[in-house]
Amino acid sequence: MAQLPREEVALDRLIICPKCHTIHQKVEIPKGKSAKCDKCGRILYHYDARILDHGLALGITGLLLFFVSNLFPLVRVEMLGHEQHVTIISMVFSLFENGFYVVGVVVAFMVFIFPLMILVVYIMINWLMMQHKGAQLTKELLVLLSKLLPWNMLEIYLVSILVALVKLIGLMQIHFGLSFWALALFVLLDIYLSKSIRIGEFWELRRRIYYAP
Amino acid sequence: MPHKQQIDPKTLLRCSVCEAVNRDREGDVYCHRCGSRIFRNPKLSTSKAWAFLITALILYVPANLYPILISEQFSSHTGNTIIGGIILLWEEGSYPIAMIILVASVLVPILKFIVLLYLLINTHLKKQRYSRVGQHRLHYMTEVIGPWSMVDVFVVAILTGLVHIGQIRVIAGPGATAFVLMVLFTMFAALSLDTRLFKEKEPYGRDQSTDH
Ligand SMILES: [Zn+2]
Ligand SMILES: [Zn+2]
Repeated sequence: MAQLPREEVALDRLIICPKCHTIHQKVEIPKGKSAKCDKCGRILYHYDARILDHGLALGITGLLLFFVSNLFPLVRVEMLGHEQHVTIISMVFSLFENGFYVVGVVVAFMVFIFPLMILVVYIMINWLMMQHKGAQLTKELLVLLSKLLPWNMLEIYLVSILVALVKLIGLMQIHFGLSFWALALFVLLDIYLSKSIRIGEFWELRRRIYYAP
Repeated sequence: MPHKQQIDPKTLLRCSVCEAVNRDREGDVYCHRCGSRIFRNPKLSTSKAWAFLITALILYVPANLYPILISEQFSSHTGNTIIGGIILLWEEGSYPIAMIILVASVLVPILKFIVLLYLLINTHLKKQRYSRVGQHRLHYMTEVIGPWSMVDVFVVAILTGLVHIGQIRVIAGPGATAFVLMVLFTMFAALSLDTRLFKEKEPYGRDQSTDH
């Protein structure tokens, strides 16, 4: 932090495209619009005046969907009178039971622990900033959030469920559970959240809220 | 629109944690906004990236040689390697699924290996052939497509949890463990690559800023 504030201010007027690394000068944009990189078209930032309200609402909806998707079976299969179902948690346990600890731990983190942590951290950030509380805590949470994001793989997991089921077609009857649909909805929301959280916007908001007007 | 400021755009870095723009300093760089150490000694991170990548390449061998999935029907055991599973799906006529697994489990890892090898070798060259922007794009691409190589592992995990019905049982095979570790190490390699080393022509280290 032993830097000239003036240089910081000058630097904060710039943004570097994460995709193609072009340097841009930030410009004012109208409400509801977003600024795109003119080289590669990636969205750089947008202007959402109610970013915290939206963030909190999405986060809480996500948390509810996440609970529903873990409470009930995702998929049920039937064959010759036998029946079996799977949830994310039971899946991890059967990996453990069969001695696949590494696979079990990695899968558990990618499809359960990290997504849950992202939601909780995201909700906390939005709530704290709304209340203008916890300047230091929001800083740590934002750093944690951006480190967690690349490790959330729920959308890939959803595709994998479908791939797995195709392998079973013909062998057994397949029924989708309530949790599958909750998970599908959650993944849609999660894609919107994880892939569209412009961390930079939260940092700027944080500076405006806790520091200079 | 680039402004005429006293800041040289060639010395600017993007913080991978908070997206803030920072000035390059040789060795360790701490972000002025979030405080994270965003860059370390480039030599150290390059050796780390090499170590992770070589580990991943070694793991790629058992990941493909050992079965990723074992199915037990009545008293017979059949192990399927990744390639074997794809061929089986293709023969059964599940072409789209065979393609998804081919892309996710075979093409994505290989592509990622090639890109990372290329980028890493490039950092050692005095004169880099490919443009800086191009290298950043390649690196960004590996981060986007990389996680999709987990598809087959998730499929195996789901089948292990789901198919234990009557006399039929499906469980993961030793190839799955090797494959998971391979994906992890390739992701670590991509994350530890020092993107400051993506330069147009000049060799690294031309910053005369007075730093503490
Ligand atoms: Zn761009
Ligand atoms: Zn930062």
